[in-house]
Amino acid sequence: MSTFEFFLQGLSVAAQPMNLLYALIGVTLGTAVGVLPGIGPALTVALLLPVTYKLDPAGSLIMFAGIYYGGMYGGSTASILLNTPGESASIVTALEGNKMARAGRGGPALATAAIGSFVAGLIATLALAFIAPFIVKLALVFGPREYFALMVLAFVTVSSAFGDSTLRGLTSLFVGLTLAIIGIDQLSGQTRLSFGIPDLLDGVEVTTLAVAMFAIGESLYIASKGDSEPDKIEAVKGSVWMNAADWARSWKPWLRGTVIGFPIGAMPAGGAEIGTFLSYAAEKRLTKHPEEFGNGAIEGVAGPEAANNASAAGTLVPLLTLGLPTSATAAIMLAGFQQYGLQPGPLLFASNPQLVWGLIASLLIANFMLLVLNLPLIGLWVRLLSIPKPWLYAGILVFATLGTIGANPSVFELGMLLAFGLLGFAMRIFGYPIAPVVVGLILGPMAEQQLRRALAISQGDVTALVMSPIAALLFVLALLAIIVPLILRARGKGEVLSQLAANED
Amino acid sequence: MKHFFLASLIAGAMALPAFAADYSIMAPAGPGGGWDQTARSLQTVLQDEKISSSVQVVNVPGAGGTIGLAQFASQNKGNPNALIVGGYVMVGAILTNQSPVTLKDVTPIARLTGEYEAIVVPAASPIQNMDDLVKALKADPGAVSWAGGSAGGVDHIAVGLIAKAAGVDPTKINYVAYSGGGEALAAILGNQVTAGISGYGEFEGQVKAGTLRLIALSSPERIEGIDAPTIKEGGLDVVVENWRMVAAAPGLTDEQVAAINADIEKAANSDAWKDILKTKGWTNTYLAGDAFKEQLDKDVASTESVLKDIGLVK
Amino acid sequence: MSEVPSSRKTRRPDRAAFIIAPALIAAAAVIWWDVARLATTSTYAPIGPATVPHWVAIGLVILGVWSGFEAWRGDFPKREAVAIGPVVWLVAGLAAQMLLLRPAGFSVATGMLFALTACGFGRRKLWATIPVGIVLSFIVWVIFAKLLQLSLPAGPLEHLFF
Repeated sequence: MSTFEFFLQGLSVAAQPMNLLYALIGVTLGTAVGVLPGIGPALTVALLLPVTYKLDPAGSLIMFAGIYYGGMYGGSTASILLNTPGESASIVTALEGNKMARAGRGGPALATAAIGSFVAGLIATLALAFIAPFIVKLALVFGPREYFALMVLAFVTVSSAFGDSTLRGLTSLFVGLTLAIIGIDQLSGQTRLSFGIPDLLDGVEVTTLAVAMFAIGESLYIASKGDSEPDKIEAVKGSVWMNAADWARSWKPWLRGTVIGFPIGAMPAGGAEIGTFLSYAAEKRLTKHPEEFGNGAIEGVAGPEAANNASAAGTLVPLLTLGLPTSATAAIMLAGFQQYGLQPGPLLFASNPQLVWGLIASLLIANFMLLVLNLPLIGLWVRLLSIPKPWLYAGILVFATLGTIGANPSVFELGMLLAFGLLGFAMRIFGYPIAPVVVGLILGPMAEQQLRRALAISQGDVTALVMSPIAALLFVLALLAIIVPLILRARGKGEVLSQLAANED
Repeated sequence: MKHFFLASLIAGAMALPAFAADYSIMAPAGPGGGWDQTARSLQTVLQDEKISSSVQVVNVPGAGGTIGLAQFASQNKGNPNALIVGGYVMVGAILTNQSPVTLKDVTPIARLTGEYEAIVVPAASPIQNMDDLVKALKADPGAVSWAGGSAGGVDHIAVGLIAKAAGVDPTKINYVAYSGGGEALAAILGNQVTAGISGYGEFEGQVKAGTLRLIALSSPERIEGIDAPTIKEGGLDVVVENWRMVAAAPGLTDEQVAAINADIEKAANSDAWKDILKTKGWTNTYLAGDAFKEQLDKDVASTESVLKDIGLVK
Repeated sequence: MSEVPSSRKTRRPDRAAFIIAPALIAAAAVIWWDVARLATTSTYAPIGPATVPHWVAIGLVILGVWSGFEAWRGDFPKREAVAIGPVVWLVAGLAAQMLLLRPAGFSVATGMLFALTACGFGRRKLWATIPVGIVLSFIVWVIFAKLLQLSLPAGPLEHLFF
């Protein structure tokens, strides 16, 4: 049988009514659990995996795929509606998505996220099926120095994309970098900034920081406005659905997000969140509505969401072709695959084509079911926002802490949640952007470790960093990302100044 | 009414031991990891084989299991229903994190599963066998970069032991720590480093596909079905096993320990447990009683000395 | 996140913002002091475990000085009035949950958080909201701890039923 026939056969199995039902159940369960802040797709899959054991292999595989996609989409829903990104990859979604939701445009935000996820998932899964072996070769070329260069590029593009004040953006970033130092240094095994407290040895958990800074900090900030704010948010202004302009502004970001997210997901140390950062930065550069960024630009939801989903499919490239679990989610999926007798690795596509194509078909079907389940529910989801504030925020805090307690039931962790919540609150009051803190916590250790690894391998030769063509190219791109805006600003200075003057009148 | 509610609360609190699970297993790690999976598998087997009517799993992640261990030892003194899952990783973590609670503060019951360390090089590498690698290491230890798990972990310890046995200064090894086997594997496949070291399971697929060359295993004897010599055969007296175990609370009577021992033995010998080992790809290295304690002491001593040699423990 | 439009008319030194500068410099000092005891174990990479923390510390000092300067010039965005009362209620709720989680179990602890948060947002009837919060949290506990095996701490209330 040719690959294409295997694929069609897989699809026909996955599309049987019973299996469609399993996919629907999986998607529903996954969404329900994934909505909790602090519980990302990895934990969702880990928690729900036993549910699938009782089914036949085809059924359990498809339900598993459903849980996985549901878990991812659940995280975006919570980010957009409640500003509670529970995992690093949906932080960027919260930035613009929540602004849209507060402006009564939660419906289009959720829709562009769902359709964008679907489009990206569809393209990326097909790419996984047909070009995985090529992509993986490219991904393996990336060593520590290339990753370091990629991190530098990410730092540069991301820092230019946050906030309106350079000082406050950088300060936020450095707060994140400071928090990133806490814990055991992976390369030397020594503790840093832990002050002998055992709970700090593993460092600050990204999800804890994200939940604290966004969910708790935001709740405190809203509370501090007292009665000056209305008791309810107007959940729907205009249509719940995407209008023609929304479509026109979404489809390109979906495709760009997919193109950015998939290869980065395929890199063994890329990480889904880097793709979302880069996509956000790209959309902000390319948009025709730069003034809307920071106030709810639909491109800022569409692009990163697509990148997130594409990168999730990208993660499957090294997992299936090399047996390399490159993220927590992938490690859990590996455990799941083994349950079905699927042994990922270089021989998988040759020795077990039926299972592989069954899995890929399942992913496509689950992706489709997600859309089927969620589009009609959007109207219901946005009504969440019309819950009176006391109950809404009480609920948000209950679910935010539930996620943290579920991942690590420790009093110390809750203490950190409160402390960082207060920090996030104080930073909001003083007009500091929140996202760079989390970005610093994620990118800081990655950049540091890759740099030190690269230098250890080269035995201290710094020039080795730029001796690889890919690394050199990435460094040049990073340099351009700094210089080009400076030149543009210098050339357009008069224009901008006159605009400013006009604004002040 | 209020009094009734209060009274029933107190009654509930007092009745707690009666309602509590037969066994409560602590996994000193987050959900999904190796120790968590071991704990949950044990839970399934203990319940399905009717050894215990109800088993709870509690996750206390952090710091290589030392946070969970400390909490377990202090809260369960003399509690015959409390179990904790752990492993060799803990031995190193206790030392490097200077944990005040050690494995001496719990009652080790049995080793359940284990995995040996495998040393691999990329298929294109000029290094053909352990001898070549040792020669290169002796010539210039810095030029031989090793990819493995985090600093002070099993992989790092194994490299330290190899260097020591080969007469190379262990502080001079060029060990490049990665966050997990997956990332390290990518670095080896991408020819970024000289050699890689990790549990055999991490490399199995690549070795079979011929993209990695397996040059030695850290087992005491050759393993059936794996075509590779042991490190010992190469003249270096290094045996490292990354094992997982189950331990009970401190301060138990001999009868209580014997009862737990019997339960765990029954579970470990059940078909259900063997099925789980098979699906998860774990190797059964069940070892209980004094033999296990002896091996534990030996591991602790050798780990401590090598971590001192590497410079991670003062 | 900074929706507050910066007002360019009031350019007086911002006293509250003056706290930020010393805080950043203090953080830098703590980092510098803490990494001073680190040993450089790997002899191959020229940058050891203390190098990057040093860079971060230097960055914090620069940002601290810069912040002090901006605070002096009054360049920080104008802040809205902060109502302390509701914030205290929320913090009390989170603290109550943290302290009650072990002794009282998930439902009671989280029920308190629910009620105190609602209180912060204007629903002051604690006698009604606490039981409602506990019941809701108990339902959440049953779903996640019993059906999904998430390890959420159980207390007397949970043991009453399970």
